Amino acid sequence: MTAVEIKNVKKVYGKGDAATVALKGVNFEANLGEVVLLMGPSGAGKSTLLTIIGALQSATSGTVKIDGQDITQLKEKDRSRLRLNKLGFVLQAYNLVPYLTVQEQFQLLDRVKKSGNLSQADLKGLLEDLGISGLVNKYPGELSGGQKQRAAIARAMYANPEILLADEPTASLDSARVEEVGQLFKKLAKDRQKAIILVTHDPRLEKYADHIYDMMDGQLTQRK
Amino acid sequence: MFLAIKEIKHEKMRYGLIVFMIFLISYMILATWGLAYGLARENTVALENWQAKSVVLNKNANLSMNSSILTKDDLKKIDLTDQDAVVGEIQVVLKKSGKTGINAQYMGVRKSEFAYKEQKLVSGRKATGKYEVTADESLKNKGYKLGDQVTLNGSSHKYKIVGFVQDAKINIEPIIYGSLANWKKLKNAMPTIAASGVISKRSRSVKGKNYKSYGIKQFIKKLPGYSAQNLTFELMIAFMFIISLMIVGVFLYILTIQKLPNYAVLRAQGIPAKTLVWATISQSLLLTVAGLAIALLAIWGTAAAMPSSAPMAFTGQIFASAIGGMLAMALIGGLIPVKTILKIDPVAAIGG
Repeated sequence: MTAVEIKNVKKVYGKGDAATVALKGVNFEANLGEVVLLMGPSGAGKSTLLTIIGALQSATSGTVKIDGQDITQLKEKDRSRLRLNKLGFVLQAYNLVPYLTVQEQFQLLDRVKKSGNLSQADLKGLLEDLGISGLVNKYPGELSGGQKQRAAIARAMYANPEILLADEPTASLDSARVEEVGQLFKKLAKDRQKAIILVTHDPRLEKYADHIYDMMDGQLTQRK
Repeated sequence: MFLAIKEIKHEKMRYGLIVFMIFLISYMILATWGLAYGLARENTVALENWQAKSVVLNKNANLSMNSSILTKDDLKKIDLTDQDAVVGEIQVVLKKSGKTGINAQYMGVRKSEFAYKEQKLVSGRKATGKYEVTADESLKNKGYKLGDQVTLNGSSHKYKIVGFVQDAKINIEPIIYGSLANWKKLKNAMPTIAASGVISKRSRSVKGKNYKSYGIKQFIKKLPGYSAQNLTFELMIAFMFIISLMIVGVFLYILTIQKLPNYAVLRAQGIPAKTLVWATISQSLLLTVAGLAIALLAIWGTAAAMPSSAPMAFTGQIFASAIGGMLAMALIGGLIPVKTILKIDPVAAIGG
């Protein structure tokens, strides 16, 4: 089932002579149960595409559908609700609220999203899958890079989103951890039927992807 | 509130220092205000104690009790009840042998009237004999004790202090209560002179050839130096209050601005802006309430420990203004960044 569908999306920053075209008519699709990689050099437009899929900003033209809903014309309040309910984010920096323990990161979500989050039993299972069930009372500052990344994944998954967006999720991890995270994304996509979209430079993640797209100068080509 | 409390608990040192700063500012405002009011009250404490609402004075005395003279005829024309007390006031230098003189206000009173009857004795007894006086308790701190024989303005007779009374100060000087007859002697008054004025617990409106009634506020305003001193203190406190509150507001604003990167991440995750706005405002209020609570406790201890020579006094209005002002600034400090929070671009959390 198609979770994300993007047709002929263009994104232009600025106006007139100062206009910069970040995306030049991009088409993209991601299905539930799949891991999709967006690869390419810095400045190619990967993060711009991720922010458009993530309802963080609007496309200049084209259609963006999340779970069948066209989000192109949504107001910020509705896009915020969409992010809370259907999208999960795993970001490079400031990933976790530094003054909340891992457990409290989930409690914060409970306070703003009263229903639809994972049950305590499901959360326990997720934390065990991620290997961080013993770290729930730790603050982010007390976790290693890999543990932080897995805690961020757990928090993103706790809201039970259909789509998980990750920006350079392996940027600060050693090779062993990269393999772990790759396997984990694959497992989450298959077992929990999520569409997982990873923006990455890291070729070590390619083997876990169902589809790979290459972004170059604002244009997207499907490699796999 | 959840985010606000969790952050404070996690960053104990940082927020502890902010609470400490708010405590210091609140304490400084309250202490200065309390000292200013304490000093101002020294001018009027006797009038408050008498619950005076008006005075009758010689109309040419420029509202000065010391300069006022009422004759026996004047007193006959002024309808007196148990709500009124005839007094004779004169500034004196009180001295006992071996001590330097002290400026004081001699207050001649009648035994049948409230100015005598309602004296709040803290030790000794009321004056009954011809040359007996009671004095404000502040004299005890200046080396005077019950039974001391003192001269007033170098008088040939010695006056015996038989009691110390509470709240007996006017125009910052201690009151010496004695008889009206002795006031006349000290004043070298003509036989027709009866008193300086009448202090009344009621709002009177009388007017005669020589005398006139005045409201107590009007009378207090005219106490020597009172208005000038109070205006100076009021302006000083107002400037300090405004500047201190602005400092608190700016601090709380900076605190919020530092959190914007975290808030961008939370906004990216779909956390509603109102949650973040409330977290900011509630945190400002929590920190201010904590600082204020400590300051109120500290000021209570300080006021109790202050020597009588530097009195500290408060009214409900002082507390309400200080607390209200601090809370208002906390609110403003928390509200100023709201626009910034609402405009946070969640894309900033991702970059790229």
